[in-house]
Amino acid sequence: MKKLIVSLVFGISIIGIYAFSKSQLTPIYFEVPKGWPKPHFDFKKNPLTEEGFQLGRKLFYDPILSRDNTISCASCHLQATGFTHVDHELSHGIDGKIGTRNSLVLINLAWSKDFMWDGGVNNLEVQPLNPITSPFEMDESLEHVVQKLQASPQYPALFQKAFGTATITGQYTLKALSQFMVMLISSNSKYDQVVRKEAHFSEQEQKGYELFKRHCASCHQEPLFTSDRFEYNGLSIDQSLNDFGRMKMTQRKEDSLRFKVPTLRNIQFTFPYMHDGRFKTLTEVIKHYNSLSKNRLLPKELGEPMNLSDADRVDLVAFLKTLTDIAFLYNPKYGYPK
Amino acid sequence: MSKKFRYFLLLAYCGIHGIFAQVAQDSLVIQSKLRFGNKPLELHTKYVAKSDTLEIESFKFYISNIKVQYDDKTIVKPKNNYHLVDIENPASLSIPIEKKQNKLIAKVTFDIGVDSISSVSGALGGDLDPAKGMYWAWQSGYINIKIEGKSNSCKTRKNQFHFHLGGYLKPNYALRKIEIPIQKNQNPNGEINIIVDLGHLFSEISLKETNSIMIPGKAAMEIADLSAKIFSVE
Repeated sequence: MKKLIVSLVFGISIIGIYAFSKSQLTPIYFEVPKGWPKPHFDFKKNPLTEEGFQLGRKLFYDPILSRDNTISCASCHLQATGFTHVDHELSHGIDGKIGTRNSLVLINLAWSKDFMWDGGVNNLEVQPLNPITSPFEMDESLEHVVQKLQASPQYPALFQKAFGTATITGQYTLKALSQFMVMLISSNSKYDQVVRKEAHFSEQEQKGYELFKRHCASCHQEPLFTSDRFEYNGLSIDQSLNDFGRMKMTQRKEDSLRFKVPTLRNIQFTFPYMHDGRFKTLTEVIKHYNSLSKNRLLPKELGEPMNLSDADRVDLVAFLKTLTDIAFLYNPKYGYPK
Repeated sequence: MSKKFRYFLLLAYCGIHGIFAQVAQDSLVIQSKLRFGNKPLELHTKYVAKSDTLEIESFKFYISNIKVQYDDKTIVKPKNNYHLVDIENPASLSIPIEKKQNKLIAKVTFDIGVDSISSVSGALGGDLDPAKGMYWAWQSGYINIKIEGKSNSCKTRKNQFHFHLGGYLKPNYALRKIEIPIQKNQNPNGEINIIVDLGHLFSEISLKETNSIMIPGKAAMEIADLSAKIFSVE
């Protein structure tokens, strides 16, 4: 009986401490923009809090994640360019080493099911393992990152605040990083304002939008401007990279040369384009799609020639620029932590 | 600090202490006995398999979903579902199940590896923490079994061999289910000694031909089949 009472007292006190530590957290409400689909990210397993988000933000901008403390996530994912590595065909990381792909943007990740150009990663929370351990990017191990964070003067207290324990783990490090990444929502471009009836397209933008709906929207589906699928888009293989994309993950022949359909949001600033950054301008991209020859491997969406005139092309680019969201690109909430 | 609170702390301490002491004494324990043939498995020690002489440098595997079934069909499970057994972490070799019962054990079942659901559930903790080095980066999913070492048979860099066996998607789902019947005399002192004999695995492969498996696929499936056979009860 005595033992039972001791256990009860102990149990109640644990619950008390737990409740107390929970009450110190500031929950973040994840707002789904009106008319958007349900996010894929499981918020129940990783409830967003201001403390977790701020910790994730600090980690995102901290080169402590790399072997020699020189490369942070932000090295290749800069806010002002839609969280990607602008102006580099292939992104480079530690010791100036060059990877094999153009870094993807980090925009509206809550709605993504798979990550990376080949979809090798199945959950946003484990995505950071890729750059952390890649010998071309950060060349570190999560185990060692955890040791470095634990030994640092600030991090244990920040983990205490966010997760109720100063004992840092790989799990909490990844959860914090994903709390930051999942909040990178871009939903206030001119396009969005037009949808919300707060603004109007110019005549040219409207023409471009019509062309977009006819020729592009089956893969770059509104409102996220991606189908979140993997497609072959007619690009020939770069013999110096021999990157067959999705096939490496699934080992299925039909996935050869398929890559993730990227979002077009903020596309104006995310150049160069395609998985290997081979096109510098949107004009080149459109010319590529406009000049596809019949090819039985092409998906049916690209089966019919687009036959765009030069004027059409200009209109289409004008529309694509309405996907620029300055409020997102310069939101101080997402910037380097002060 | 009030007197009452101090008294409470003392009580709490005694409570915890008592509970832990009890676990150590009275539980049924599944004990992994790592072997190479009839010798205990040690790191950096030369062993002779059928066609190769080799040394092991790392050996880790996940054991999950453990169930102990008694003669009366009742089933008991350990508190945690997933256990990372690591030759370098002796504590990981003992898995307490629950309070010893005065009943005969009929069989033990467990999985070698991590199931599909946990492989798609994001960042998990405890033994499943990706910081344990058993999670793939470039392609999500757990490494079920990691065996690394060297052998002169391997014409590889530093004569190393690497087996990182995993895969959570069909048809390359590399988890293996193991069922071991327990005879009357096989659980002395409430311990079930599971023999894990790497010698058995290496007698089935030639390191000259098979020395690097790092991705899910057919080759990983074949070695996973073989490694399911290295578990037995003493």
